[in-house]
Amino acid sequence: MSVTVSFYSYFKELTGCDRTTESLPEGSTLNDLYQKLSVRFPKLAAMQKSTLMAVGVEYRERGYILKEGDEVSLFPPVQGG
Amino acid sequence: MIRELTITAEQIDEAGLSRSRKLSKGMGAVIYFLGVVRGTEEGNAIEAIEYEAFQRMAEHQFNLLFDEMEKRWPIESVRLVHRVGTVKVNEPSLWVEVVAPHRGEAFASCQWLIDEMKRVVPIWKKPV
Repeated sequence: MSVTVSFYSYFKELTGCDRTTESLPEGSTLNDLYQKLSVRFPKLAAMQKSTLMAVGVEYRERGYILKEGDEVSLFPPVQGG
Repeated sequence: MIRELTITAEQIDEAGLSRSRKLSKGMGAVIYFLGVVRGTEEGNAIEAIEYEAFQRMAEHQFNLLFDEMEKRWPIESVRLVHRVGTVKVNEPSLWVEVVAPHRGEAFASCQWLIDEMKRVVPIWKKPV
């Protein structure tokens, strides 16, 4: 299956892009996706503990099982105000 | 509860927001808060802050917070404006208003909303 991944804030600089796609086996979790992305974008690996993850407009835990076409977003802690 | 949310690159029009305030006769408290860009960030002088939002998710997360406010306090209305793009030092980046029957719930809910916003609403800042 294929999912899209968007990066926000300085994660765009760490990865050098604001959006990418990734192919994963059926049943893969957000954590599986993160591990795969960490290989592609090594600078992302160092941010593992502080990374927030969303699917669509909802925050999701790392055990969330992805579905075909999911729109995943990865970003650092938020700082509004 | 009436809710108005604006995430905008335009300057915050405080006078216009005050003029458009609506109150029913039972309301006794209007709290509004302005978050303003400070001239220093971690000890370094800055000119401005650039705000970036994941707009669709930010709107959704703000609405979840408004839902929770509505459950917890007897609020008549909440209005919130957050800037995106470049906001210069001394300019407001955030304007929040809560209208409620009494000041206790107005202060408490406004403080809660801002604290929660800083925890869950996907907006980021970069000093420039």
